[in-house]
Amino acid sequence: MAADPDRTDPPSVVCDDLSKRFAEGTDVLRGVDLTLAAGRTTAFVGPSGCGKSTLLRLIAGLETPSGGRVEIGGAPPSETLKRAGLAMAFQDPSLLPWRTVRGNIELALKLARKPADRTAIDDLIALVGLGGFDEVRPAALSGGMRQRAAIARAMVTRPGLLLLDEPFGAVDELTRRQLAEDLPRLWEARATTTILVTHSVQEAVMLSDRVIVFSSRPARIVGDVAIDLDRPRPASRVSDPDFVALATQVSEALARGMAGPQDRLAAQ
Amino acid sequence: MTGQRRGAGLLGIAAMMVLWEGVGRAFEGAFLIAGPSDILVYLGANLGLMVRALGETLGNAALGFVAGNLAAIALAVLAQLWPPSRSSVSGLALIVFCLPLVATGPILRILYGPGPGPQITLAALAVYYTTLVPLLVGLRAAPASWFDLVRSYGRGPLTELVHVRAWATLPYLFAGLQIAAPAAFLGAMVGEFTGAERGMGVLTIRAIRALDVDATWTIATIAALVSILAYSGLGAIARRVLLEKPAVILSAPVSTGRRRGPWHAAARLALLLGLTIGLWWAALELADLPSFFAKRPDDVWRAFVTAPDASATRATMASALAGTALFVVPGYLAGLALGAALAILFLLVPAAAAVGMPVAVALRSVPIVTTAPLLVLALGRGATGTITLVAVMVFFPTFVACLHGLRQAPGQILDVFDTYAAGRLARLVHVHVPAMLPAFFAAARMAVPASILAVTVVEWLATGRGVGALMALSASLSDYDMLWGAVVVVSGLSILGYAAISAVERRILSVYAAEQLGA
Repeated sequence: MAADPDRTDPPSVVCDDLSKRFAEGTDVLRGVDLTLAAGRTTAFVGPSGCGKSTLLRLIAGLETPSGGRVEIGGAPPSETLKRAGLAMAFQDPSLLPWRTVRGNIELALKLARKPADRTAIDDLIALVGLGGFDEVRPAALSGGMRQRAAIARAMVTRPGLLLLDEPFGAVDELTRRQLAEDLPRLWEARATTTILVTHSVQEAVMLSDRVIVFSSRPARIVGDVAIDLDRPRPASRVSDPDFVALATQVSEALARGMAGPQDRLAAQ
Repeated sequence: MTGQRRGAGLLGIAAMMVLWEGVGRAFEGAFLIAGPSDILVYLGANLGLMVRALGETLGNAALGFVAGNLAAIALAVLAQLWPPSRSSVSGLALIVFCLPLVATGPILRILYGPGPGPQITLAALAVYYTTLVPLLVGLRAAPASWFDLVRSYGRGPLTELVHVRAWATLPYLFAGLQIAAPAAFLGAMVGEFTGAERGMGVLTIRAIRALDVDATWTIATIAALVSILAYSGLGAIARRVLLEKPAVILSAPVSTGRRRGPWHAAARLALLLGLTIGLWWAALELADLPSFFAKRPDDVWRAFVTAPDASATRATMASALAGTALFVVPGYLAGLALGAALAILFLLVPAAAAVGMPVAVALRSVPIVTTAPLLVLALGRGATGTITLVAVMVFFPTFVACLHGLRQAPGQILDVFDTYAAGRLARLVHVHVPAMLPAFFAAARMAVPASILAVTVVEWLATGRGVGALMALSASLSDYDMLWGAVVVVSGLSILGYAAISAVERRILSVYAAEQLGA
């Protein structure tokens, strides 16, 4: 494959004794140690509010750790930010309402100081199933369509590190299945290091090479499951025994992490 | 539906014209009201004069509008890009907004001499704050995730400004410009009161002095129409340009300084005071203006504190202020109460709101210098006329703000009330009125300087009493110590009133709208 001058090499990600405490005193993360291999896809799974999104923001350099450090390719996140080496799709699609779908995707290239590539944008718009909506403004799109536009925006700069915070939250089931087949193919072809936050165990197993399971707040790692399933992984794989076994491992780790107040409430 | 509404609107206007004409005829000879036919006759006879005067005032207002808005935009951007300047920019803006135009007008006339300088400057000063406040809010109004997006590509505040804030603030900018357009007209007219040769302000003064009812009503009608057209025209442009309606920003958000403790607030106040005095002194020194009429801060201090006749000067000022307070306080409170009460009534009777809201929004844009002579003609030069005028000045912004606030009640909370089959009164008391409070207090804060402007204008133009008259008299007698002192005292009282309302507001919002204090 010919070298692509636009893309950034996939970096490894290291979190070393990483902690985060918010100003009002809430402990969100405590002593997280993690090494994510370059070019692989990792899913973060955990109960709501456990700190998965905060961990993603710490990796993106959007939050400052209270303790420990993050390294992307051996350098702090600020270095990666400076050369636009990462992109993030947020929980909220965060599309600028005065720009069309295409305009929002082009904006990412502008921010990353990369030239606009009409064909690449068209391809991405088609990939996320928004063909024909490229000149439409976000207000006229459904929640799922906005989220897909946000995914396309995050991918257009061909970042070495792609961070996705619950990217399929508002996407309908059929599109979700299609994206779950198409996106990993693209990440693999581009050898992108991808980190995905999700609530869905099935989605985590389907999309990733490794699933990290977090406990309730303050988040600590309670499970680390390698997903050694072949790719591509069509939707029909979910009923395969090996898929089910991996999903069960993740679910059990999740249940361990959630033990505590929930159990007491259930007992009541 | 739109056609029906337009038809009803035209019918309403026609009915109002007939009623106006009828009242005009009924009071013919009483020197009170000129009907539409009188105005048309007067216009026919004096068309050339009116067109020339309107052209002059519009030209000055337009120049002031551009200058004031450019200054507001520049300062808002400075405050955004250099956060330590934010509190000084907001504070100085408030001080400028609180300057009594009635006194700054004559001072500018002395400083500029003949020509359009004072008119343009007063127009610029009148629009500066109304644009700056929405901009300061709008530049920070975008969701945090939009800024995260920019930061996730390693870009900084300037990129945020270009790609996010500048666009996100457009609805706020248009909201400010809509209010600024009539304000510029008001500023230009007040500037013309101070000895200009041409313009609508000059004609107003002449008409009042000659008790020319037809001329007064014609000028008032033209000024009101121009203001409404400017307001509506900018609204129409906003609807074409924007994806959403212009924002409704009633005043600067209430300060959050309290949370950092009283020492921080005191230090900020001292800095602001020092900056104001420094700028005042430096501006006059740099312009090398003679201290006979361009009084420095130490001149005012001497006149009011250390001079042998300082106590007499203070007594004169105190007596004038007491006279003004008698009118301004009841008018202010009545305007607030009526504004809130009518808004609540309109909420309970939605059909009334459909008719009343556009009228109130339009009338809100009519400058005080237009309505003052009419109310004085109708109600006389005594307490009733002055209090009514102050109340009218406070009423319209309060009413529009409260109606907007009442509509901010969260739909989901109202749904909760619906699930319990709660009545209209319960919804009003528990949801709508608390939702209205932030807007009510924002209007109450802004109404403090507005009511002082109203009372000083009417005292200057008509009653000959109070601090407005003292300022006019000081200007005509070249008593510049008193004139500059009046600017300091009236601005100071205006700011104190504003701060007092802010303190009450903070207390109430901490209970009913805590999220507004966290902004």
